[in-house]
Amino acid sequence: MPPSSNADRRVGLLPRLALFWRQAPLGMQIGIVILAVHLVVAATGPFWAPYGYSQMRAGMPLSGASWAHPFGTDQLGRDIFSRVVHGGHIVLALALSGTLLGLAAGAVIGLWSGYVGGWIDEVVQRLIEALISIPFLVLALMAIATAGPQWSGNPVLIVLVVALVYAPRIARMARASAVEIATRDHVTVARLRGEGAFSVMRRELLPNATGVLLVEFALRAGYAPVLVGSLGFLGFGLRPPTPEWGLIISENRALLIVSPATVIGPGLALASLVVGLNLFTEGLARILGRTVRLGAQ
Amino acid sequence: MTPTGAPDPALQVEGLSVSYRKGAGFVRVVDDVSFAVARGEVFGLVGESGCGKSTVALQILGYRSPLMRTDAGRVVFGGADVLALPRAALDRVRGAGIAFVPQNPTTALNPGIRVGAQIDEILAAHTEAAPAARMERVRALFDLVGLPATDAAAAKYPHQMSGGQQQRVCIAMALACDPAFVVLDEPTTGLDVTTQRQIVDLLGDLRARLGMSMLYVTHDLGLLSQIADRVGVMYAGRMVEVAPVADIFTAPAHPYTRGLIGSLPRLDPDTAAPAARPLRGLLRRQDLPEGCPFAPRCEHAEPACARDRQPLEPTGTPGRSVACRRWREIAPEIPSSEVIDPAHGAGRSGQLLVLEGVRIAYGTGRRRFEAVRAIDLAIAEGETLALVGESGSGKSTIARAIAGLVAPEAGRITLAGAPLAGDVADRTTDQRRRIQYVFQNPDASLNPRARILEAIARPAAFFFGRRPDASAVARALDDVRLDPGYAARFPDELSGGERQRVAIARALAAEPALLMCDEVLSALDVSVQASVLELLRRLRAERGIAMLFISHDLAVVRMLADRVMVLFRGEVVETGPREAVFAPPFHPYSRSLIEAVPVPLRRRAGGAAGPDRLRPDVAEAPRGPGCAYAGRCAVEIAGLCVGTPPPLRTAGPGHAIRCHHMLDDLSGARAHPPAGNTAQ
Repeated sequence: MPPSSNADRRVGLLPRLALFWRQAPLGMQIGIVILAVHLVVAATGPFWAPYGYSQMRAGMPLSGASWAHPFGTDQLGRDIFSRVVHGGHIVLALALSGTLLGLAAGAVIGLWSGYVGGWIDEVVQRLIEALISIPFLVLALMAIATAGPQWSGNPVLIVLVVALVYAPRIARMARASAVEIATRDHVTVARLRGEGAFSVMRRELLPNATGVLLVEFALRAGYAPVLVGSLGFLGFGLRPPTPEWGLIISENRALLIVSPATVIGPGLALASLVVGLNLFTEGLARILGRTVRLGAQ
Repeated sequence: MTPTGAPDPALQVEGLSVSYRKGAGFVRVVDDVSFAVARGEVFGLVGESGCGKSTVALQILGYRSPLMRTDAGRVVFGGADVLALPRAALDRVRGAGIAFVPQNPTTALNPGIRVGAQIDEILAAHTEAAPAARMERVRALFDLVGLPATDAAAAKYPHQMSGGQQQRVCIAMALACDPAFVVLDEPTTGLDVTTQRQIVDLLGDLRARLGMSMLYVTHDLGLLSQIADRVGVMYAGRMVEVAPVADIFTAPAHPYTRGLIGSLPRLDPDTAAPAARPLRGLLRRQDLPEGCPFAPRCEHAEPACARDRQPLEPTGTPGRSVACRRWREIAPEIPSSEVIDPAHGAGRSGQLLVLEGVRIAYGTGRRRFEAVRAIDLAIAEGETLALVGESGSGKSTIARAIAGLVAPEAGRITLAGAPLAGDVADRTTDQRRRIQYVFQNPDASLNPRARILEAIARPAAFFFGRRPDASAVARALDDVRLDPGYAARFPDELSGGERQRVAIARALAAEPALLMCDEVLSALDVSVQASVLELLRRLRAERGIAMLFISHDLAVVRMLADRVMVLFRGEVVETGPREAVFAPPFHPYSRSLIEAVPVPLRRRAGGAAGPDRLRPDVAEAPRGPGCAYAGRCAVEIAGLCVGTPPPLRTAGPGHAIRCHHMLDDLSGARAHPPAGNTAQ
C-alpha cells in the first residue's frame, strides 16, 4: 500500500485538524481543552481581570473565597484571582521560552556530539552527565548564585536557568537519536559526498529527529512551570509584586490556615497547567511514536 | 497434481475480502479471493509487493487487528470457518492445525530464549506431554529439519545460529504439533541462494515425508516452480490466475502472468519457455478501474476491460482458471529476442580503478576478523565488474573500502592512477565526486524528510556549486524515466522501484566515473527489477560509466556484467569474462552458486544434499592456510585443500580459477545437472 498519499495533502487545514481531533486519544483531548483555556486566559486575562494585579484593598484583606473574590484576598487586600489571571502569560512565557532555548541548545549539542562521536562525544557526554547528576533545583540555585545579585529577579535569568536545567537532558535524547540516524544510508551518502558535520546535522539529522525533539520539548515544557514556580516560591524568581504563581503561593503560605483559598487557587492554576501539558504531551508522544503499519513489509 | 475441485480440500478460502484502515476510511486490499488447497498439495501464492498475498496468508491464521477489517469471506479448515472462530478455539487451531513460517527468522525468534525452549513452548501449549517427552520431541524435530539432534543445539540462542539455521528452527516450530496445513510467508527471502536452495529442498523433503499441505507465499515465481503444485497469481488484491505450475510457465493465460514471467531475469536465455514482454508501468492503487485492476498496464486492454468486473473462471483445462475476458483472443506473443550485450564499452581506454593486495579487517586482537584477504581488482573505464558471493564473502566490504568508508589494512587503491586515501574525509572533492555509491535499500538511502528535488539537486550544488535548478532536476528525473512532477514529493510517496531510480539519479547528478551498485535490485519486485536493470544498461551504454555491480543474483549478473569475480570468505576463487565464468570449467563454489539458482520448471531431486555441503560449524571456524572453500567443497581433496593454498589456474584469456583440481576435472558439464546427479 502506498503510505500517506497525496490525497492527505490536498485536504484543507480544518478537516485535517478535525480528523486529528477525532483520532486523538481521550487524554489528549482533555489536555488540549485545558491548555486552550490556559492560553485564552493568559492572552486575554489582563483585559478582563476584575482588579489590577497589584491593586490593594480590592476587598477586605483575608476575606476568604467568595463570588467577588473566588481565590480570596491576601494581607494587602489584593484579589488573588485577578493576580492569578494576570500571571498566566508570565508563567507560560517564562516556561516556554526557557524550554525552547534549552531545546535549541540541547539539540545542537546532542546532534553534534552523537554525529561526530569519538573522544569529543565522550567528553561532552561526561559533562552532560555531571550536569544531570546535580538535582535540578540545586543546579538552578547554583546558576542564580553565580550570576550574582545584579541579575536577581531578572526574567532573562529565569529563562536562562530553565534552559540550563533542560539543555543537558534534551541533549542526551538528541544524541541518542543522532547516533541511530547516523547509521542510516542517507547519512552515509552525505558523508561520502564530503558534507561537513553541520550540513549533515541540518539536512539529514535534524529533520529526522524532529519527532523525538518535539516530544522532548513538550515533556520538558510540562514541568517548566513547576520549575519556574519553585524558583518563585524560594524567592529566587521574579520580584514582588509580579503575579508569578510560585511567588503568590510563597507570599501566602503563612495564610494557609487563615485563608486557604489564597494558596489553593494559584496552586490549582499551576497544577491544571502541568496536568494539561502532560496529557497533551503523552498523546503527542503516542501519536509520533506510532510507527506500526500493518500490511507493510 | 490435484485439480481445484478436490472433493475434500485441506483448506478452502471463499470470497475473502479484507480492508485496511487508512485515514478516516478503509482501503480494500484483498478483493473476493477464492482458492482451495488439496490435501498434500503445495499451493503457491505469487505477486508483487502490495498485492495482498501476505494479507491472505495472515487471514488463513485468523489474524485480527484493529487496523484491518475482514469484509467478507470464509476460510474453511477442518469443517469450521477460521474467521468466525472464537478466540479460544482459534488458539487451539493456530500452531496445532495451521502453522506459520514467517519471512524473517531473526525477528521471529525471541533473542532471549534458547531455541529448544521456544519450540517447547508450542508443545507445552498444545499437548499434554511431560517435559521429558517434549524435549524428546524437540530433538526429533531438530533431526527432521536437518539440525543436529543434540541438547547442545537446542540450548543455543538464535544469534548463535546462521540465518538458514534460524529458518530451520522456525520450520521445526511450525511442524511441532504435526499441523495439517503450513503457511509459509516468503520463508527464504532474506537468505543466500545456496541457503535458499537448502531450505526449499528441505521443504520438498518434509512435504514428501509428512504429506502436509502448504501455502507458499512469495514474490519469486522461479522459486515456486521448484516447490509448488499449483500457483495462484495475485494482482492488486485480486486473484487473476490459478494454474498448475507447469502451465504457468509454458502457457500463461493472464496478461499479468505473462508480464511477470517476461520480467524474470533468466540464467538461461536460450530456454524454450515462451519469452514474454516484461511488465510495463506500475501498480497505482489510487486509479484502479472498476473492472480488471490490470487494465491500465495491459497492452491488450479494451474499454470494456476497465469497466466490467472479471471473475476467476475455469478455462476448461483441469485446475486452471483465469480472470480475463480476453484470454482466449490474446495470441501468444512473439518471443522477444534477448539482447544480452549492447555494444557498449567500445573505445575502452585505461584502467579506472585498481586495487592491489587489499586486505581489510574489522576489530582487533582476538576479535579481529579478516573480511577481505589480498584482493587484486581492476575496472577499466566503462567496464562493468560484478562481485558475486554469499553474505559474508566480503563483497560489500570491498565496495565500502573503495568508497572510503573502511580503510584497508594493507594494499593500495588507485583511481585513474592517483592513490585513494583510506578515509573518505581525506580524499579530494573530485575523487569523491567520481565514485558514487547506490545502496541496496532506497528506503534508507533517501532522507525521508527531504523532497526528491532536494535529494537530486544537492550533489550538483555541492560539487559544481550550481544553484538548485528545477529544470536540471526535471532532466535528471527524466533520465531515470520518472515524471518531473515527482520533484515535489517525499520518498514515502514513491514506490520502491521509483525510489531506487531517484537514488540512481542522485548518484548520476555528481557525474561519476564509477557507479557502485550494492545489491541495488534485491529489495525490488521482479517487474521493477527488470526495469531498473534496463535503466542501468541504458545509462551505461549512453554515458560510458564504469560499474561495480554487487549481487548475489547470478541471473542479473549475467545480464549486466562484462566481467565477474566470485568471492568466498574474502578471497577471489574465480574471475573472468562473463561468458567464461558461466561456462565450464567452474570453480566448485561457482558451480554451487549457479546450480542453486532456481530455474523455472527444472525441478531438482528431493534430496537435501546439494553439491555444496554446508556445514556451518566449519564455515564459522577460523580457517587454515589452505583453500577458503575447504570444508564446504563437494570435491575436496582430503589432506590437501585444508592445509595448502590452492594455485591460481589460468583457464582462458582473463579467466582464472583458484583450485587444486586440474581444469579438466572442473569442466564436467554439470551446470544444470540431471535429476539424479545432486541426490548423490
